Amino acid sequence: MNERIARRAKTGPELHALDAGEIDAVLDPATQTAHLLPDAQRALMLGGALPLNSLLAALPRQDYQRMLPELEPVNLSYGEVLYEPTDRLAHVYFPGDAQISLLVVLDAGKALEVALVGREGLVGIPLAFDVEDSPVRARVQGSGSAVRMQAGSFREELARCAPLQREVHRYAYAKLAQARQTAVCNRFHPVEARLARWLLLTRDRVRAEQFHLTHEFLADMLGVRRAGVTEAAASLQRRKLIRYSRGDITILDREGLAAASCACYEVVRKLAR
Amino acid sequence: MGTPLPSKRIRLTLYVAAGAPNSVRAIANLAEICDSLRSLFKLEIVDVLKFPLRALADGVLVTPQLAKLSPAPTAKIVGNLSDRARVLAALGIAK
Repeated sequence: MNERIARRAKTGPELHALDAGEIDAVLDPATQTAHLLPDAQRALMLGGALPLNSLLAALPRQDYQRMLPELEPVNLSYGEVLYEPTDRLAHVYFPGDAQISLLVVLDAGKALEVALVGREGLVGIPLAFDVEDSPVRARVQGSGSAVRMQAGSFREELARCAPLQREVHRYAYAKLAQARQTAVCNRFHPVEARLARWLLLTRDRVRAEQFHLTHEFLADMLGVRRAGVTEAAASLQRRKLIRYSRGDITILDREGLAAASCACYEVVRKLAR
Repeated sequence: MGTPLPSKRIRLTLYVAAGAPNSVRAIANLAEICDSLRSLFKLEIVDVLKFPLRALADGVLVTPQLAKLSPAPTAKIVGNLSDRARVLAALGIAK
């Protein structure tokens, strides 16, 4: 990125100001967009009134301020894998508007989503319980921003910051309860009701009625074959609850979809706060 | 007091990335400079995060950046405008 900037800003004053650290953003004629430089991005993401992540936002101001230098803003893109099972957890991730799906991977490549992490939580709970390796695959399901912190710094902060510890434990417990509910749900409830639940939870997290999810992704989320997803999505579409076209999902009737979902939606939603 | 002649008015455009530290500083620095001078300014602030095409059309590649549009000669100052003397020189105002 910096090389690209240097090439564009080849003339004197631009380069001089860049070197002096006086530049916030660079315009790229090729993409016709403005790119924030890392420092400016960091300041914009972190310096705002409140952090995007609600777990961080719940911390006392002085604790958050102390942690700021350790928090590195990152952009996460759809499909990106942060951790595979048994990978060493190098960072914890606090999503802003990004969403990360945690999947248990079985042999033969089968995977099933066991949790979805958005701005209400973090990826890296095991570190809070002295476990250093990821038990799951953590895959970005919704592109967006997050901040991450090195595992070592996170543990130091946990040890000295009771509010952080409280938040992390509260969140970990909610996740445990959700996993319990989901395990039962996956076993007993029909695919269509589960798909409805899952779409509603995604909607609540992204706070939008429209999002992108491929068949394959949904199949992993629900632990069914792709044909099963097609069938369930078609059924919801026939009932005019959603529109689904090439992975673009639009929720047309939220209340109808809630009625079509199993009761687990409400249970999990309340746990997610 | 009559209205100053339009030719005396200095027309400026400041390109910023709204909220970013150098841009915030540039606005503050420019406001201070304008306040301290008797000249009349017409200042437009363009947020390149919102209007990248406008900035590109004006030939802006990095922000913050101040463009003096009139009176001639035109000038541009790149950076957070903390060097007051340089800004004044570019604006054509002798201290």
